[in-house]
Amino acid sequence: MEVTYKINRKDPENGGESGYATYQVDLPEDATVLDGLQKIRDEQDDSLAFRASCCQGTCGECAVRINYKAQFTCTTRIGDVTKKAPEVQLDPVRNISVIKDLVFDMDAFTWDKMAAVKPWMEPDEEFAPTENIVSEKDMADVRKTMSCYQCGLCDEGCAVLPVNFDFLGPGAMVKSYRFVMDPRESGAQMDARMKVVEQPQGLWDCVHCYEADGKCPRRLTPSTKIMEMRDVSFKEGIKNEKVGRHHASFINSVKQTGWLDERKLVMETEGLTNVGGLMKLLPTAVRALRRGKMPGRHEKRPGADQIKRILEKAEDSK
Amino acid sequence: MPQFDVLVIGGGASGLRAAIAVKRAGASVAVLSKVHPLRTNSALSPGGLNAPLGSDDSAEKFAQDIRSAGDGLCDTEAVNILAADAAREVIWLERVGVPFNRDADGRIDRRALGSSSVQRAAYADDRTGHMVLHVLHEQFQREDIPCFSEWLVTSLIQDGGACTGAVALGHRSGQLETFTAGAVVLATGGATQLYRPCTSAVGTTGDGLMLAYDLGVGLVNLEMVQFHPTVYSADRTALVSEAALSEGAQLVNEAGDTVVDATGLSRARLAAEVHKAGHNGGGPVSLDLRPVADLASRFPGALEVVKSMAGIDATKDAVPVQPVAHRPMGGIETNAAGETSVAGLYAVGECAHNGLNGAGRLPGNTLTEAVVFGKRVGEAAAAHAKAAGAREAGGSAARDNERLAEITSGGSSGDTLGTIHRELGELMSANLGVTRTDAGLAEAQDKIRALQQRHAALRVNNKSRIYNYALAGHIELGNLLKLAEATALAARGRAESRGAHLRSDHPEKDDSNWKAHTVVRSQDGSPKLDTRAVSA
Repeated sequence: MEVTYKINRKDPENGGESGYATYQVDLPEDATVLDGLQKIRDEQDDSLAFRASCCQGTCGECAVRINYKAQFTCTTRIGDVTKKAPEVQLDPVRNISVIKDLVFDMDAFTWDKMAAVKPWMEPDEEFAPTENIVSEKDMADVRKTMSCYQCGLCDEGCAVLPVNFDFLGPGAMVKSYRFVMDPRESGAQMDARMKVVEQPQGLWDCVHCYEADGKCPRRLTPSTKIMEMRDVSFKEGIKNEKVGRHHASFINSVKQTGWLDERKLVMETEGLTNVGGLMKLLPTAVRALRRGKMPGRHEKRPGADQIKRILEKAEDSK
Repeated sequence: MPQFDVLVIGGGASGLRAAIAVKRAGASVAVLSKVHPLRTNSALSPGGLNAPLGSDDSAEKFAQDIRSAGDGLCDTEAVNILAADAAREVIWLERVGVPFNRDADGRIDRRALGSSSVQRAAYADDRTGHMVLHVLHEQFQREDIPCFSEWLVTSLIQDGGACTGAVALGHRSGQLETFTAGAVVLATGGATQLYRPCTSAVGTTGDGLMLAYDLGVGLVNLEMVQFHPTVYSADRTALVSEAALSEGAQLVNEAGDTVVDATGLSRARLAAEVHKAGHNGGGPVSLDLRPVADLASRFPGALEVVKSMAGIDATKDAVPVQPVAHRPMGGIETNAAGETSVAGLYAVGECAHNGLNGAGRLPGNTLTEAVVFGKRVGEAAAAHAKAAGAREAGGSAARDNERLAEITSGGSSGDTLGTIHRELGELMSANLGVTRTDAGLAEAQDKIRALQQRHAALRVNNKSRIYNYALAGHIELGNLLKLAEATALAARGRAESRGAHLRSDHPEKDDSNWKAHTVVRSQDGSPKLDTRAVSA
């Protein structure tokens, strides 16, 4: 079948110019999208850049957007993506800077974020004579999570990364989850990792849009895992000091008055002696004051005691 | 100019394990890899890794099974090292995070794999390679070792006879750099892209073998190429671990009758039997996975890959299979410490021949070999680098620069890299496949030389060096063609049938003449065949 490949290209050496180029390719019906790309580079334009390695859906190297949907070129059949018209559009994945054509900056996109969560074990007895004794059920759960390709497709779907690229992202959090749920993980290493994961731009910045769950090729439900780690964080106690102060202030404020006292929240989160941190927030405070969003004091609202009881009950059931 | 005590070339399991060992030995180290470590071919080793962990097993039994699979060509020292060190390395892997399947007592479970006399393969579902690779990469990050990912090595640097570094092209920067080192470890993987179809990643193009060969190092037993017996193959491949056969899967014909009984067969014999059954007029051979108990939890990787590559739901239908080129046994000539004949140059893993695998690798030994010898070779290289002292920054990228400029000088010859690679792969499968003949090998030699000439005339139009995959592909195909010539020479020389090398014109094993390694070296630009005794 004759297929038109419409490929979003970028030339890093001529002022970073980008735009779509089209190629006509004759392919068998059951060819993959990757087969077509290889044919174009081989026969028509040897400057075309795209990544591929295992070519059998095992390694996670060849993710791009095919007709706006991020997936692997090596497992996507051309027949399946040309049902409406004999044309396929290829773009680099979203949320990340492109280096050349369909090659994007995986370092910044995924690898650096993964590395930030200290993704390794530091067992007390590394050269022990025998293995850890653990249940098959626990290991089966870890294996499921560890089947993650680290392909970045969950980050591609993330709703937060486009507005805050410093967000840790679902990929790095799934990598953290692999350790958090592993009974072999040592306490010290777990604490160090949770401190990173719980940072202000980590666990708590997920907006629960569940887009990542729909994108994961191995259906590892990253969003659900983020929620589970929040539970762990509450149960074990928040290790990141600033986030811990934020959480404590939030709860205390609601318990005491039934309101969230944002002024107090900000000051207690930053730390009352942290003058530099507080000064940075001054412009926000001025704007809030002007718009009447900073009342002089919060009166205890009606029903506050009931709210307090609800919170305490929830805390007891942890 | 980057400078390290040890430079490891290749980011797969062997390279990562070697780099970790170098760092722990107190030497500085960096890894150069043409793809990110997690995208290397090590992930494509599903079945498991052998270690004598059970009370019914021992290092001696393990060694005996290795020798039996190696069919007379194993060097004793390498076999004994692997058998002795495997358990310790597998336990280390478990301690640092590999989530091996467990038995009822919570200990590492073991599955039967290939012709092993006991259940010996520790496994993580049927994604063992993926899990081991990911955990090795975790530990590699823990050691804070610099990784030059997406760098293609174009040559090795030699100074006073010793290897003192490498020249490499950074895909992202488009720049050639020289890296200086007290020792260089080649861990570049195999060369299965010689064949079409094949089970391996696109990067398995024998680069390390050719880097060593160009310095005069011998390549041993190149004719020994393992064919995996249970691979779905059309234009693309999907490998199902042989472990399925030990857990109830059947090799059947179209009527559903069992056509090959896999019990106790070496991988080479099994591949030959499947090949024979597929060519005896009884129609294609299929692997029926349905008799496997708990199929979905035992073989999730196989079900996934068969579905995505073959479009077959293996819980409902049998999967057509054939033997497909999988992993080489031969490689760069080293001793058991990974040393080559060039001072400071080491090799380990699938690119190397240290005497372990002989004429046939015991299934489940690929990953064990990578970690056991990765560690040892890393330690040996670190010791060498420390003893050698600091290297003068030397070497020049000028010659490589000229070579790259020549390749990218443009102008169409009407040929393409893809066409030449496809013709090479099909030729290798036909003439250097499961069975070989002298006439077929002679024909292959002629055709390979013709392909080499076409490749030499071929130019890349894209002059940019940033992510210029055609330029990289030209270098890789050049490596494959040189290696193909050496492989055909070795295969033609070995006039007997042994292990993975089956000659229909010499169907018997000939111990009096051929209980020996073939060694191919470059002499005046041409491959010359020699032999060397097997060390007892």
